[in-house]
Amino acid sequence: MDLNFTPEEQAFRQQIRGWVAEHLPKDISHKVHNALRLSKDDLQRWAKILGRQGWHGWAWPKQFGGPGWNAIQRHLFEEECALAGAPRVVPFGPVMVAPVIMAFGSPEQQQRHLPGIMSGDVWWSQGYSEPGSGSDLASLKCRAERRGDYYVVNGQKTWTTLGQYGDWIFCLVRTDSSGKPQTGISFLLIDMKSPGITVRPIITMDGEHEVNEVWFDNVEVPADNLVGEENKGWTYAKYLLAHERTNIADVNRSKRELERLKRIAKAENVYGDTRFRDEVAKLEVEIVALEMMVLRVLSAEGSTRREAGKQSLEVAGLLKIRGSEIQQRLTELLMLAAGPYSVPFIHDAMEAGWQGDHVGAAYCAPLAATYFNVRKTTIYGGSNEVQRNIVAQTVLGS
Amino acid sequence: MDFDFSDDQEMLRDSVRKWVAKGYDAERRKRIVQAGGFSREAWRELADLGLTGLFVPEAHGGMGFGPTDAMVVMEELGRGLVLEPYAQGALIAGGVLSACAPQPAIDGWLGRIAGGDALVVLAHQERGARYRLAQVETSAKAAGHGWTLSGAKSVVPAGDQADAFIVPARVSGAVDDPAGIALFLVERRAAGVKTRGYGSADGARAAELSLAEAPATLLVPAGGPGGGGHAALELAVDIGIAALCAEAVGAMEQLVAVTVEYMNTRKQFGVAIASFQALRHRIADVKMQLELARSMSYFATLKMNEPAAVRRRALAQAKYQLGVSMRFVGQQCIQLHGGIGVTDEYIAGHYFKRLTVMELSFGDTLHQLGEVSDRMQDTAGVFA
Repeated sequence: MDLNFTPEEQAFRQQIRGWVAEHLPKDISHKVHNALRLSKDDLQRWAKILGRQGWHGWAWPKQFGGPGWNAIQRHLFEEECALAGAPRVVPFGPVMVAPVIMAFGSPEQQQRHLPGIMSGDVWWSQGYSEPGSGSDLASLKCRAERRGDYYVVNGQKTWTTLGQYGDWIFCLVRTDSSGKPQTGISFLLIDMKSPGITVRPIITMDGEHEVNEVWFDNVEVPADNLVGEENKGWTYAKYLLAHERTNIADVNRSKRELERLKRIAKAENVYGDTRFRDEVAKLEVEIVALEMMVLRVLSAEGSTRREAGKQSLEVAGLLKIRGSEIQQRLTELLMLAAGPYSVPFIHDAMEAGWQGDHVGAAYCAPLAATYFNVRKTTIYGGSNEVQRNIVAQTVLGS
Repeated sequence: MDFDFSDDQEMLRDSVRKWVAKGYDAERRKRIVQAGGFSREAWRELADLGLTGLFVPEAHGGMGFGPTDAMVVMEELGRGLVLEPYAQGALIAGGVLSACAPQPAIDGWLGRIAGGDALVVLAHQERGARYRLAQVETSAKAAGHGWTLSGAKSVVPAGDQADAFIVPARVSGAVDDPAGIALFLVERRAAGVKTRGYGSADGARAAELSLAEAPATLLVPAGGPGGGGHAALELAVDIGIAALCAEAVGAMEQLVAVTVEYMNTRKQFGVAIASFQALRHRIADVKMQLELARSMSYFATLKMNEPAAVRRRALAQAKYQLGVSMRFVGQQCIQLHGGIGVTDEYIAGHYFKRLTVMELSFGDTLHQLGEVSDRMQDTAGVFA
């Protein structure tokens, strides 16, 4: 047992740190460090910078143009990016659909889609949830009917994050209703410029346009855009969910946000209050414990011992629950640290470079909005209640 | 970065687990509790396995092992609810004496500790001090070539059975001045030493210790560049915390296993109670606390060889998490059992009681939160 990174790993970290310091635009990291609004341009600029280096798909194997890093290296890269104030990479392309295309897509699909994902040129969205299918995702109804060389898609997807920018969308669609719900689902890649697609905004309680409804009205999709086999989409979707195990804990960003919390608490004269400070101390321990869990999973992935692998599987389901709870608690304490100055809700003040008069310190402006926004983390990606069902299944074996 | 155990550590785990399974079953444990909560015979068996010399250098008849090996042993002793104060008599005594004591004390005691012939325990708690290590009223006076100690220490593990005590006492300064604390060794059979033994809440044994000009050997003088007696006391307590964290993980793991088995067999409303979602979510939360605890137990152990300030902060963080976890896992596993869980006959209650006592040992959860809070730095994380 050894907690320390090897000299090679530490050198790798330094190399990443230097590169990020050189290439991450300061205006973008300023927004991230202050929870200010990020534009499409901000997100895409950073994606393309990473893409030029071949790191937008930082978890990709070499054969598909990725760096071929191991689990520890990927973690170090993610940590350095997060601590430096890089925006979260929009995951739908490089993290979610790309591994599915690599594992189950045809060579043509791989050649067509992977380069655009790596370069950051093509924006992908995710079409999973439907109004009637949230936690019970397999009950989805959006239909794809085969007509010659095409599928004709009809139905609705929802909670499509940043879908207003989407060039392509990967969808779970129903191609068979005869058997069990899971067995009639297919995985389809759809060009969002296809006739019959309508994207409508959903405004969330922070006043922001982050998620959308996507409507499909007789949308013709070439049959070549089917990934893998018809009716096997559920298997591919589960593969996708299993692919991102540690990243979902988002512990690196939580470490950065804890530092911000301490800064703001000091500036707002609440850090000396032991009642408040003890709440921060609790959160600090929770973050250390979460990071240790993440490191255990990462180390197990590189281990040849069977016992370690088993432990990693058992722990993985817990990372999402704990990581999301911590993210929420951070935004809660950030808001409480500013106290009454979290009350003013001035939409423009959450924009970088706003020249108006702030109420209280400038960093107070987005704190309530961020707290509102982050309620989503215990709901998305399989609600924490669904996660508990999965953990219980493992623990009880029944 | 590596969280695998070595082959030697797996073998060590196996040997302790086998001894616990065969040699320390529930019946024997019950007999030991009824006989007062400590068995010399069991201590002898631990010594025969070489375990009492785990931290004692090979030159003095020990194994010269490190923190991770200790963690492995403690997890297994925790799983078996072993009553004998192994963390105290082997790890703290062996660790502190070999790290801090002068040569005559090392020569006189380490071999006997390793061989299981001497049980030496830390006697540091005082009435009114709660968990504050710097608050020491027991006084030390130089007398001829040696020292005498006067004062009282509380809740000393197996205090009326031990052969000697490691005792922090004040040589100078105000009652809470860390610079005036030295560490001494006092033999139980020495003049002026009295003990009053009793059973503790977990079925183990403890004692009140009173010292009236009792002759003492100086182990670590006060003050000095390394922090002297107070720093050595902190090391002793941190060894104890790391050990308790691992013991707690073993105990919780076994309690959860017992609870899971019960949930899958106990039927109500015609079905196994494991089928009820309210209980399923509860066991998921229990699993969460167990894995957080295991993670922080690893953290504690892997930080034991860091510089004192880093170690102290990490150990406080770990004991805080373990305190939270122990209370939650203990309480919920009793609740998940229903009525059977509160009986003396069933094993779950005994795990619950041990977890409760561990939370109260070496600084409870609120105390540790204060320690973490006082030591917070701008950057947080495992490598901060």
